Amino acid sequence: MAEARIIAVCGKGGVGKTSVSALMVSLLARNGHGKILAIDADPAVGLATSLGISVRKTVDDIRKDLIAQIQKGDAPGNRQTLELLDYEIFDALQEQNGYALLAIGRPEDEGCFCRVNNLLKDIIADLAHRFDIVLIDGEAGIEQINRRVMKTVNHLVLVSDTSAKGINVANAIALVAGERKAVDYRDIGLVLNRVRSEEEARDIGSRTRLEVYGWIADDEDIRDFDFRGAPLTGIPDSSPALVTVSDIMRKLRLIP
Amino acid sequence: MRGIVELFSDTISAVRGFVSETSGRRAWTADNGLSWPKGGARNIVLKEDLGLELGSPQMESVSCLLWTHDISAIKDGTITLLGPDFPESMGQNLPFGKVVLAGVEGFTQDNAYDLHKDLDFLRYSIDMEGFMMRSVSQYLREWCRISAEAIRRGFSARILGSALIGLFRERPFVKSVEVIYVTSSPADVVRLREITAPAERIIAAMNKMAQEMDFECSSCDYRDVCDEADGLKGMRERLMDKSREALHG
Repeated sequence: MAEARIIAVCGKGGVGKTSVSALMVSLLARNGHGKILAIDADPAVGLATSLGISVRKTVDDIRKDLIAQIQKGDAPGNRQTLELLDYEIFDALQEQNGYALLAIGRPEDEGCFCRVNNLLKDIIADLAHRFDIVLIDGEAGIEQINRRVMKTVNHLVLVSDTSAKGINVANAIALVAGERKAVDYRDIGLVLNRVRSEEEARDIGSRTRLEVYGWIADDEDIRDFDFRGAPLTGIPDSSPALVTVSDIMRKLRLIP
Repeated sequence: MRGIVELFSDTISAVRGFVSETSGRRAWTADNGLSWPKGGARNIVLKEDLGLELGSPQMESVSCLLWTHDISAIKDGTITLLGPDFPESMGQNLPFGKVVLAGVEGFTQDNAYDLHKDLDFLRYSIDMEGFMMRSVSQYLREWCRISAEAIRRGFSARILGSALIGLFRERPFVKSVEVIYVTSSPADVVRLREITAPAERIIAAMNKMAQEMDFECSSCDYRDVCDEADGLKGMRERLMDKSREALHG
């Protein structure tokens, strides 16, 4: 059986990264493309909200419970810790129609619990490889994907709006991922969001060395759904953003 | 006072009493010929493929391994089911109880904990298409999912039990083994949990001894368990000796 295909979506906060991730998950689920796992690695659990999911339990909750147990002097053995975390993480999966979501939660608080963190990362990686497609919605820094989720992805999708800050962050992420080997990836590209015209997209494209996978025009449907706090899974097929994200996913051969 | 090989004798008797008192039981002989395709590394059962859920976190669940040196006390190769079988339960979320009884030889205060863990972890070696299991041995919980496709193809308690018994039989120190499954009602699983509670405390005491270098008994939560069983005291003394050897060379 083929290996899981892993997509990591990153970018500066506020550029619409989570909306792009939610549209991708929605399209993957609609296409019935095998088993889909969405990992919400943003501490604000924005992906879950965009998909209309109220998170019951995060990986960080599990981690905190275990650490409290250890601090109470009730530490289970290595194998028992592994099976406990495996059980709890599977229980934390929120299974929806066509996909499952795992929320990572807030980054680690004070204190070093490397053994627990490493076990969690191993279990998440093992779980992820049981799915056909895994989409990770990260926060701005690529390092936390490496540190908290996994080091190897197939597609590194950087999202930016048209602001210089957004593009700079995307370039910086690409630099950290590529030259500093923070994440191993097969391909990397940029999705431009809230673009006013093709000319603007071309102009920005000429100022970055990143391949532009596609550009999304400012979309009234997205704005309206965001305003109402409605899940993006319900966005109409005709939504320009959805159409563009479909094209990008076809380009990446993620959907037929 | 109970020696190491009799640690679970009372619980085994209590489980036998529970099984004989509970109506609607069925029993089969394990059959190695009941083959089932392997699930492989990508085996996972999600809700959209689900046929039957057993002992989920929202349901009652208990899973326990009990062993004895009295090999004849075990009905070798028998799978007993109290409650509906898997093919009769499509679409349901049932409580789940599982007790594995093993007749073993060669268990001593030195090796009993390691051999217990070895047997307990055999359940993770079950690799059957459309069957997925998660467990927490610390809390004696086991959560299984069986896909709708597997149920349609006849995945049953007998098939699962035969696979588990086959794994136990690969261990040379296992001389007899049987499995009891309970799917009848939450009340029955709660009753089974009560019956196996003393074994749970013994296992917890063994875990604590094996994981902690501090052998101070006066403040230990499991002092009463050790006071009841000479075997556990002996096991603790062996671990203390090993710990001293490691410290002083």
